[in-house]
Amino acid sequence: MAELRQIAFYGKGGIGKSTTSQNTLAAMCHYYGKKILIVGCDPKADSTRLILHEKAQSTIMQLASEAGTVEDLELEDVCKPGAGEFHPDNTDITEGYINCTESGGPEPGVGCAGRGVITAINFLEEEGAYDDDLDFVSYDVLGDVVCGGFAMPIREGKAQEIYIVMSGEMMAMYAANNISKGILKYANTGGVRLAGLICNARMTDKEYDLAKHLAMQIGTQMIHFVPRSNHVQRAELRRMTVVEFAPSSDQAFEYRELARKIINNDLKVIPKPLEMDDLEALLMEFGLEEEVEEEAIGKKAEEA
Amino acid sequence: MFVCGYHFPASEGNDVSFDKVIEKVKDGVNPAGKTVTLTSETREGVKLEELSVPEGTFAHVAFVDYYESSDVPGDFKMIYYTNKYQISEISKSVDGAVTKDLCRKLDDMNLYRVKVS
Repeated sequence: MAELRQIAFYGKGGIGKSTTSQNTLAAMCHYYGKKILIVGCDPKADSTRLILHEKAQSTIMQLASEAGTVEDLELEDVCKPGAGEFHPDNTDITEGYINCTESGGPEPGVGCAGRGVITAINFLEEEGAYDDDLDFVSYDVLGDVVCGGFAMPIREGKAQEIYIVMSGEMMAMYAANNISKGILKYANTGGVRLAGLICNARMTDKEYDLAKHLAMQIGTQMIHFVPRSNHVQRAELRRMTVVEFAPSSDQAFEYRELARKIINNDLKVIPKPLEMDDLEALLMEFGLEEEVEEEAIGKKAEEA
Repeated sequence: MFVCGYHFPASEGNDVSFDKVIEKVKDGVNPAGKTVTLTSETREGVKLEELSVPEGTFAHVAFVDYYESSDVPGDFKMIYYTNKYQISEISKSVDGAVTKDLCRKLDDMNLYRVKVS
């Protein structure tokens, strides 16, 4: 039996992290028969809805609140089998399956959003959710800020390989670089490694070049460039993944190729995050920002 | 890492030389006498134009290799965006002016399909 691989998808909020992770994991299951557990670590709890064909799964934090404490919960309460072809009992299309759980978080404005992540991972480990049949455990983690709670999956080697979902936009690249700093912090103590950037493309000019060069400078690879496609939105509206909604579409093949690469990926590195000046220089070099003269700083377009 | 769909082991780092990629792409492919036709289309599926790839170039070999080794279905096979950008990048470096205009097109945001006959 292959060793369990614990992977994580990090990325800034709104980058398409949950959509990319679910479509990719679905492709790993659909085309390659992989057995997967998804641990959603985003307070908005949308890391599993496409796999479950549901609005949003009840989270461990919600259920613990209703039951009294997390100790009052059973694994079956919080871990749901995927819908359709992702259900463990459905082997019509694939021998693989996907089980789903969401950590959840506190009400907005109250408490630490990362606390749910810590509670969830501890509970799942204690309850034996990481069983021997699994090929992958996948964490889906918000990464605008890599606070201690959100860094939980990369501490102590829980998530061993990190994929950062980004795009060629400045804030997405800034977040990717920031997440790399978080990985670097725990790389020596916990063994976590950066396994690649996934460019969830906004289709901006020179986006491939930007993503590739950022990856190279951080010390990793841009493992796949995922183009925009209306199939993604159409599938999402039906609460489905692309490989279910349109299995013979171009976009389904893009996710299949990304799935193949992740399954076969062995390039896992300790990242070398950039300084802010270097990041800005990269953006200027590839034309997203024109080089700005010192005297133009702070001036309006018509003045500069 | 992965270039043109091929896996290069981690021991080779994150900056595999074009020479190594070219060697791998050329291995086992016989592009002689084959015609490579590309079509471009928008994200909405509107066909834009048909392009030919000059024989004797890396781009020609790479598209023949992609067409023959990829299991993407269809007469005209869609090319992964990652692959088209990587093929363009290498072709710009080794094919020079011969594929300059073609590579400029491949660098855009359109979807390309390839047919080899």
